[in-house]
Amino acid sequence: MAVRTLDITALTCPMTWVRTKLELERMAPGEALEVRCAEGEALENVPRSAAAAGHEVRVSGPIVRIVRR
Amino acid sequence: MSSDRRAFFRTLASAARDVAQPAAPDVEAPDAVGPWLDRYSRQLVLPEWSEAAQRTLAAASVLVVGAGALGSPVATYLAGAGVGRLGIVDDGDVELSNLHRQHLHFTPDLGVPKARSAVAKLAYLNPEIVIEPYQAAFGAAMVEGHDLVVDCTDSFTARYAVNAACCAARVPLVEAGVVGMSGLVMAIRPGETACYRCAFPAPPADAASCAEAGVLGPAAGVVGSLQALEALKLLAGLPALTDAFLQVDLAGLDFLRVAVRRRPQCPDCSAA
Repeated sequence: MAVRTLDITALTCPMTWVRTKLELERMAPGEALEVRCAEGEALENVPRSAAAAGHEVRVSGPIVRIVRR
Repeated sequence: MSSDRRAFFRTLASAARDVAQPAAPDVEAPDAVGPWLDRYSRQLVLPEWSEAAQRTLAAASVLVVGAGALGSPVATYLAGAGVGRLGIVDDGDVELSNLHRQHLHFTPDLGVPKARSAVAKLAYLNPEIVIEPYQAAFGAAMVEGHDLVVDCTDSFTARYAVNAACCAARVPLVEAGVVGMSGLVMAIRPGETACYRCAFPAPPADAASCAEAGVLGPAAGVVGSLQALEALKLLAGLPALTDAFLQVDLAGLDFLRVAVRRRPQCPDCSAA
């Protein structure tokens, strides 16, 4: 299955999670999304918000990989 | 119209034009964060809300009956939330005694029809939606074609008329009333859940309107805000205050949810 990508390095809170959340809403369960985050707020909050929403999350460097639940 | 008031509306109208944005959502562009996304971001971010809910709201048509103490918060929140088409019904003019609780009307609006005064502010708040004034008394035919009606009238007679019209047309409805320091709110899906007449088959003998009994502005604001909340829930398909009403006592700060059942013999909804 093709992995979707999203670059939110130019965004600030809460648009970082809003944009990621809307992208996830358009995906099918089990589909993966790789989100490129800026250091700091986005890299701290996006994985936390995604996990709180019940998605599977893995962080490697600036990339947050989220598998839609 | 005094020149002060003309200037006031001129300023308001030109300011609304200045902030007008293209209505087309640009969320399709992968990395763009447009005004649409920005305007609704604080509700889109909620786990309970979604792009689908936002689009449902944008496609919805809602009739707000009454542009007074309840209609002010209701219309303000529905316009702000992005309901695509709002109709505002009121056949009265703005009076000095309205201003303490009807926050869509300002002192320069005295004497202006309330429907028009309300629409001027709402267009300023959200120029991306369509808002239509109905400067007339409520008529049953008005509910046709709407996805939801919010009853912000101030008497049992008027509320029964709106309830009966919504039941006949099977249009979902949010009822509310406020007097003094207390009020109630009720969400209704005609034909599925208890209607206002099921909950209150006859008006209480000592029913007073807020014109006689008075009301504190924030008390009406709380009840109207709850009404707007229930309207958004009904539109988005979220669980709402149906088959029950919420009794709100703002003196003691007590909220009581009272269960209500449909009445098989209800003159308003039994045929719905």
